[in-house]
Amino acid sequence: MKLALVGVGGAGARVVDAIRGAEADGDRQLCYGNLLTVDISRTLGGDLDHVPREQRVTIGDTHRGVDDGVDGDQDLAVEVARADAPEIQRALDTITMRTLDGVLVVAGLGGGTGSGAGAVLVERLQELYDKPVYVLGMLPGVDEGSHAALNAARSLRSIVPAADSTLLFDNDRWVDADGGTDADGNADATEERYGRANRELASRVLTLFARGGPDPSSIGANTLDASDVVRTLSPGGVASIGHAAIELDDDGGGLLSWLLSILPGSRERETSDERTDAGKIQSLVGQALNSRLTLPCEVSSAERALVVLSGPPEKLSRRGFESARQLIEEETNTVEVLAGDDPQVGSSTVAATVLLSNVTSVPRIDSMQRDAVEHERERVGDAVPASEESD
Amino acid sequence: MKLATIGVGNAGSKVVDRMVEFESKTNRSLCRHVHAINTARTDLAKPEYIPEEQRVLVGDTNQKSKGHGVGGDVEIGAEVMSADVDEIRRAFDDIEIHNVDAILVAAGLGGGTGSGGGPVVIDALQDMYDEPVYALGILPGEYEGGRPALNAARSLQSFVNKVDNFIGFDNDAWRAREQTIQEGYEEMNRELAARIVTLLAAGETDDTDVAENAMDSSDIIRTLATDGVSSIGYAATAVDAQPEGLLDRWGGSGASAEDPLDDASQAKKIKSLVRRATNSRLTLPCEVSSAERVLVVVSGPPSEFSRKGIESARQWLEQEAGTVEILVGDDPREGSSRLAAAVLLSNVSDAPRIETLQNQAVDAQEQIAEQEAAREEKINDLITDENDDLDPVI
Repeated sequence: MKLALVGVGGAGARVVDAIRGAEADGDRQLCYGNLLTVDISRTLGGDLDHVPREQRVTIGDTHRGVDDGVDGDQDLAVEVARADAPEIQRALDTITMRTLDGVLVVAGLGGGTGSGAGAVLVERLQELYDKPVYVLGMLPGVDEGSHAALNAARSLRSIVPAADSTLLFDNDRWVDADGGTDADGNADATEERYGRANRELASRVLTLFARGGPDPSSIGANTLDASDVVRTLSPGGVASIGHAAIELDDDGGGLLSWLLSILPGSRERETSDERTDAGKIQSLVGQALNSRLTLPCEVSSAERALVVLSGPPEKLSRRGFESARQLIEEETNTVEVLAGDDPQVGSSTVAATVLLSNVTSVPRIDSMQRDAVEHERERVGDAVPASEESD
Repeated sequence: MKLATIGVGNAGSKVVDRMVEFESKTNRSLCRHVHAINTARTDLAKPEYIPEEQRVLVGDTNQKSKGHGVGGDVEIGAEVMSADVDEIRRAFDDIEIHNVDAILVAAGLGGGTGSGGGPVVIDALQDMYDEPVYALGILPGEYEGGRPALNAARSLQSFVNKVDNFIGFDNDAWRAREQTIQEGYEEMNRELAARIVTLLAAGETDDTDVAENAMDSSDIIRTLATDGVSSIGYAATAVDAQPEGLLDRWGGSGASAEDPLDDASQAKKIKSLVRRATNSRLTLPCEVSSAERVLVVVSGPPSEFSRKGIESARQWLEQEAGTVEILVGDDPREGSSRLAAAVLLSNVSDAPRIETLQNQAVDAQEQIAEQEAAREEKINDLITDENDDLDPVI
């Protein structure tokens, strides 16, 4: 699948940078150079390594009230993005949409620019193109405060109905809370904590959306294609990605089982080996569904699902594949499950990537909304102290 | 019989590829013309025996597919194929129709391209040619889930209504156990290819041997002309390769050790082979007695044939299938090391998998409809706080 990447705000730009970096490291391509970052009057400076300077757009530098960014003010960001629409338009024109399958807008939803300008951009892209516009949104962690929660909660109300699907990533789940343990306690720690989370996110996005090279050995019996992802995401709403991987025995177990397999009468062992493979794949999918989702959610609330198993073809057992699919159908309680294989000759890991589309029961969104409402009440309460108790 | 064979979608193309493989390995010439039609560019790169210029990519300019398949969506499969029907007709213009007796369209019914696009292809072929059009349809296994079952149950109706015969293959019955994904499909497709080719290639030998009970294409066409659903049974046994002049011997399983074969024991062998084929795992498990017509092709070195055997096999089948419309014939394959029997049960009306498939499909359809109906409200509930205090940012 070919998607243009548009990163909005600092966090969005950094994730786009991480995706571009992962593309450069591996053989999976997603944006084929079609990328753009949009930020409000702030020099992103040196912290983007893979986004060419001419593909970074800064807006709002002449706007009143904009100093160093919007300082978390999403309404201001909306205003700026609308005022500078022509500038954004010019930048978008450099992307040859004709050859692409859609756009992925990447934004941190706790910040002002991502949550505000991001929503404007999604709306604008939907007007401009008749291709799917997906959003990859990062939800703020609890420690980022209730104002971030308010930004995100309000932004979701605009973005989710406007986007073709909104993939969410919960920073609480993915950014290590105690960065201090592995750093010297300096400012680097925060950056590194987010950096790790961004790389993890980037690799999932690529595994799900991007295909490897045209090597025929990488074509599976059931290769999932762009249309499969589009169909899975088509109900809209919020989506979550699960991923789990295991290293195949590289600790001497491989040698042992090889020895066993060349011994005469090893038929039985081969069979039990197969069974273990099937069992491994099933537990792998179980892991991807439970603890390893980008957005923890009630799996059974998903409307559609897609699963890709990648690994060396000789390890992708048919039974494992079938039971993985069946497990997902049971857990999600939906019949709309697409399953594919992604053979990686010579690879030493088996991985399962699961896409849960239109999940409607997400505890983190509920708690964020409660924080947001409280924050809003306090703000209103500060402004008009007496009116709070009247209803 | 001489066929134009067309694979639609991933599963259909793979089966056709295996059919051509089987023919070339057994010196048969059934498929005088092959085509693979698909909406996914990636899958079209896979066949090993279908020439590159015979692979047709459809829908690559269609916004919903763009060469990336149809996402298992039967409606989009039909839509994309219909939009490109002129291109398909142009491709079919190459078929030297005077050189073929019938057309076979192979497709998987659980996905989107084969199940949705297959009927469109069949319509085009029926319009263009007077020759019978048959389908080789692969039914998804129960384990493949509700969506494929729904696609298949709907598609099956279109297929059966449009073709002169629908030969079914049930993935459930053929599901392999301890295999990798790749091997599992290959194995199934090879088994299916052996059956369909052994059956339909009868009468198309290049040598001049004409067997006493030779089967020809009109026999096959007559048996298939029931407009119904059919199933194929198959059994084979190895033939000892001995220099000519010596007494031929039977090899393989099922044959008891015995003395030089006289006609009586040769007859017994043929009968037992046909019996084994009929009682074997059928491509679509069904009640044999529900068949309307039956055709048996006994294929192998002519020295193994027995007129008496064929007659007694016919009598046995008459009892078993409860019909008198039974043809048993032979297909001489000089130099072949195997004796095989392929049994075509035409218009079987009792195939349990079709019923379970339909039930699975009805459940799936209800569930999908329920989810769709609740969709908007659920999304709205998710993004709205409890008392709707928060405003959207734009």
